[in-house]
Amino acid sequence: MSQVETFRYDNRIVRDFAFASVIWGIVGMLVGVLIALQLVMPALNLGPFLSFGRLRPLHTNAVIFAFVGNAIFMGVYHSTQRLCKARMFNDLLSKIHFWGWQLIILLAAVSLPAGKTTSKEYAELEWPIDILITLIWVVFAVNFFGTLWRRRERHMYVALWFYIATIITVAVLHIFNSLEAPVTLMKSYSVYAGVQDALVQWWYGHNAVAFFLTTPYLGLMYYYLPKAANRPIFSYRLSIIHFWALIFIYIWAGPHHLLFTALPDWAQSLGMVFSLMLIAPSWGGMLNGLLTLRGAWDKVREEPVLKFLVIGLTAYGMATLEGPMLSIKSVNALSHYTDWTIAHVHVGALGWNGFMTFGILYWLIPVLYRTELYNKKWANLHFWIGLTGILIYVVPLYWAGVTQSLMWKQFTVEGVLEYPNFLDTVTNLIPFYAMRAIGGTIYLASTVLMAVNLWKTVQQGDFEAETEASAPALRDQPMPSADYEAHAYRHRKLERLPLLFTVLTAVAILIGGIVELVPLYLIKSNVPSLASVTPYSPLELEGRDIYIREGCVQCHSQMVRPFRSETARYGDYSKAGEFVFDHPFLWGSKRTGPDLAREGVIGRSHVWHYMHMANPRSTSPGSIMPDYPWLHSNKLRTNNTAKKISVMRKLGVPYPMYFEEIAVLRLNEQAEEIASELRQQLPESADQIEADREIIALIAYLQRLGVDATKEVPYEEEL
Amino acid sequence: MYKDVLRSIEGIGLYPIISLVIFMLFFTTVFLWMFRIRKEHADHMSALPLEDGSLSSPESGETYHG
Repeated sequence: MSQVETFRYDNRIVRDFAFASVIWGIVGMLVGVLIALQLVMPALNLGPFLSFGRLRPLHTNAVIFAFVGNAIFMGVYHSTQRLCKARMFNDLLSKIHFWGWQLIILLAAVSLPAGKTTSKEYAELEWPIDILITLIWVVFAVNFFGTLWRRRERHMYVALWFYIATIITVAVLHIFNSLEAPVTLMKSYSVYAGVQDALVQWWYGHNAVAFFLTTPYLGLMYYYLPKAANRPIFSYRLSIIHFWALIFIYIWAGPHHLLFTALPDWAQSLGMVFSLMLIAPSWGGMLNGLLTLRGAWDKVREEPVLKFLVIGLTAYGMATLEGPMLSIKSVNALSHYTDWTIAHVHVGALGWNGFMTFGILYWLIPVLYRTELYNKKWANLHFWIGLTGILIYVVPLYWAGVTQSLMWKQFTVEGVLEYPNFLDTVTNLIPFYAMRAIGGTIYLASTVLMAVNLWKTVQQGDFEAETEASAPALRDQPMPSADYEAHAYRHRKLERLPLLFTVLTAVAILIGGIVELVPLYLIKSNVPSLASVTPYSPLELEGRDIYIREGCVQCHSQMVRPFRSETARYGDYSKAGEFVFDHPFLWGSKRTGPDLAREGVIGRSHVWHYMHMANPRSTSPGSIMPDYPWLHSNKLRTNNTAKKISVMRKLGVPYPMYFEEIAVLRLNEQAEEIASELRQQLPESADQIEADREIIALIAYLQRLGVDATKEVPYEEEL
Repeated sequence: MYKDVLRSIEGIGLYPIISLVIFMLFFTTVFLWMFRIRKEHADHMSALPLEDGSLSSPESGETYHG
């Protein structure tokens, strides 16, 4: 006789994550609106802590890890308990997870504006916070897998597979990409350099999009869409194909658009065909969700929850078609470094992540508080205003991206660049940036409307802190008969054995990882070295760290591509060997300003940099770059210079032994050279120009860019 | 640029070929197995979100709010 057990689901942790998600969502979007406006009105770059270069990573981290992150945990904690028919494994772990995550966010909110950054996208947080992230992620994993272990439902629903894949893969990605050698408590250098660092970073970045922004949300979709529509998912079989297709597209095929280029041509074609084929099952996931609503479209018309989920899924479909398109060489040649990338990101972020989150919140909060949504009309309004916001955000940026790229590539009939001044391509975009800022503000406003609606719902409701539930223990549930099992397919067995499933998923991810990472590891010893490339001088190294601190890499790339339009504009194209000592790499991913890889060899005077950094518009009228006057007044701190040299040497940069001891001396010598040249060129300001200021270091670094690549190496005397 | 660096590594083509082969084999297998799923099982699994064992009415398969 089966023994039915009663137990309770923990709803407090769900509520906590929900509130955190909404609050941080508004904060993150507010920062987004501010930085969007800064591109239109550079005067809005208020001081060092609120300048674009430092705030943009705050925006990305806030919306990804604080807004989306908390929403993921809200949905995972709510749905996992119910799919397992078991309470979360440990209430204390739940609390540690919640407060630990919020602590990480607070540390990010303080450290990023202070310029404590690794510069690596979506991995900017410095090493002590990275360790904290790892610890909290382990807490989450233990809590989650413990719940699976205690489950009373034998088979694992598809949502749980997506959660498993997320937890394992994010752990692997985070650990490998965050390998850093500390210099001080809040400063470190990537153990990887140049090409290797770039490939590890984008192996991480692309998979972070996949396994933080996509797979958890697909899991949530597979749970909340059926819940909201009160009907089962359209096709269970399709969900299996969808899951494995997605895992393979991302962890294997995704970064392979980099590595496939090392394959012989026949294998490249095969790989590309397979990747294209996999778009189908991935879209099948979208259709799985949409077709769940077949025959119920009238409900979509009436119910805001369903509206949000449907548009969310559609945005997912759009973004997952656009993504592979953008990785096609010829398309990428046009889109790379432009606002097209930003538009693509925001279709996914605002459409998929945003709207799915809103749909789930509008469903979940009334359920948790045992009431109706306070105002359904407001929710409908949110939907339409939010959708308008997305369109006004995305469409101008598509236009801007393509326009700018075509302007970069335009030649006159005589064969010279039509727009040799980079700035002309930027000033053209200001109206589009203004429209984008309006779109973002509209989206933010509609989110605030949601927050008010949900808050009113909370106030009128009666919170159900614990939900009573009952189910027989697993051991009391009948196993399928031997005869039945004989016909069983193995995937069902997998669903019954979460440990085995997890291990197999981990193996799949790890094989995928090894097959991708080994070549990256081998790269280090295979980058053809350039005899002319030598390590940065101490002053240049300090200048590079200022470049990193101020977030210059957000707007400036350092990678001249082998296109005629680029070599005509910037100089010789970039070679792998130039970057061997760059810990971390600074190739950048966006050109709001020009590429700087050849900045040191185009004949700019120190004075130009001195004035340009103080006020960019003094040398470049119409520029949207922020002012950096504090560089001229801040004294350069050299108390860590020696330490930086020895850490770099440990990472393989060939500084001579004992160089630390004269590093600061050398730094001062080089600084004095630059300062006296400045004094000669600016006699009226000569008494204000001090050699010990940060601007001198930054000038030294900028004047070094491209020098080694074009340096003459003296031939050795033949014996 | 990284392509040239990668191509210069001897035997590097082996790794993406391994991954492509595993990728295709695994995926084809899952695709074939999918056809062997029994309908009762598929129905049972699809219904899991709708029967969460909770005893309070708003959650047990009740219609959507909002």
